Amino acid sequence: MHFVPSSLVLALIAFLILYFVLNKYAFGPLFSMMEKRRELVLQQINEASQTREQAVAYVEEQKQALQDARKEAYDIIEQSRQTSSKQTEQLLDQAKAEAARIKEEAVRDIQSEKNKAVEALRSELGSASVKIASKLLEKEVGSDAAQEELVDQYLKKVGGRS
Amino acid sequence: MLHDSPVINVGGLDIDLSVVLMLIVTCMIVFLIARLATRNLSVENPGKMQNFMEWVVEFVQGLISSTMDLKKGKPFLSLGTTLILFIFVGNMLGLPFNIVTEYNDASKAHIFGQEIVSVTEKIHAAQERHPGEEVEVGISWWKSPTADPAVTMGLSAMVFVLVHFVGITRNTKGYFKHYLQPYIFFLPINLIEQLSKLLTLGMRLFANIYAGEVLISVLIALGSSGIIGGIVSIPLLMAWQGFSIFIGSIQAFVFTILTFVYISQVIETHEEH
Repeated sequence: MHFVPSSLVLALIAFLILYFVLNKYAFGPLFSMMEKRRELVLQQINEASQTREQAVAYVEEQKQALQDARKEAYDIIEQSRQTSSKQTEQLLDQAKAEAARIKEEAVRDIQSEKNKAVEALRSELGSASVKIASKLLEKEVGSDAAQEELVDQYLKKVGGRS
Repeated sequence: MLHDSPVINVGGLDIDLSVVLMLIVTCMIVFLIARLATRNLSVENPGKMQNFMEWVVEFVQGLISSTMDLKKGKPFLSLGTTLILFIFVGNMLGLPFNIVTEYNDASKAHIFGQEIVSVTEKIHAAQERHPGEEVEVGISWWKSPTADPAVTMGLSAMVFVLVHFVGITRNTKGYFKHYLQPYIFFLPINLIEQLSKLLTLGMRLFANIYAGEVLISVLIALGSSGIIGGIVSIPLLMAWQGFSIFIGSIQAFVFTILTFVYISQVIETHEEH
């Protein structure tokens, strides 16, 4: 075994050439690629966490919307229930009022008919009694207006009592 | 039994051909692995090789963050990855096989028209001692580049220079102050400490891998000595090669993490307690 000094220099030169060649053709591209991958992974992690946040927010939003819809539906049902009961009441009131009005009208009609009948009866009775009286009295009692009035008066007293 | 390295002399400079060969092979393999792994880069759908490479890079990143602030250590990430791949591949290369050429005659020991100095020297020395005897010198062409002290010391020296350069430029005050702590007369001890770091970093790697290869060649020699030796050596070889894979991985890991530890020591500002 010899120590050959030139080998030392040769080894150095060989190693340095290898170092520069590798640096240029192998490690340079490899390191930049690894750096790119590191960035890619970082970016994907960020994106994933962002997407997750979005999903959580979306679910929250959906929950809120569902809650709102449920509340709205409840309100609508409640409102319609109230309206229907009010309407029923109103209808009932209306029907009652109508019934009362019709009844009143009928009563009034009856009254007026009765009055008319009484009036007609009275006038009939007056003329009839005058006729009876004229038949009885003949000449003594002419168809004098004064006489008729007298009878009328008398009959009124009778009718008013009846 | 132990093989020599093929050293030639070009213009007064000794060059170890096996080291040259193995450095080239190691660099080619590491580059091929890295290139295959990063051929079809995909952010979302990485292939198997890309996953493996990313695992290696993340492993080195883990080493950095365990020794220092990851932000400060980021520039050393590709250095660490290159180191661990280079050393690991280098450690593994010596395990599966070996290529040996043997020479009896000094006149035949030539390659590319150059004399293999290490062989001829040895043959001449043997012939001088025992003239007329047959000599046989084995040359090993294939071995772990990290089983050569010069290579590991080269890596270690590179780390040493880098560490002190980083210390001086990024943490000037803390770096120089550190030599005088806790007292001014600790300066020589601190200097020795730095020097020992340089030596141990390189020598630890070299010694582990070299010892592994020595034992493998010893076991191979045992295996080729006879039938009984062959039967005994096979399970031993299997066990030792498995263990060598383990050692090779551990040494690559240790070298890399020690580099980061040394860097973190010089860039971290130490507060007084």
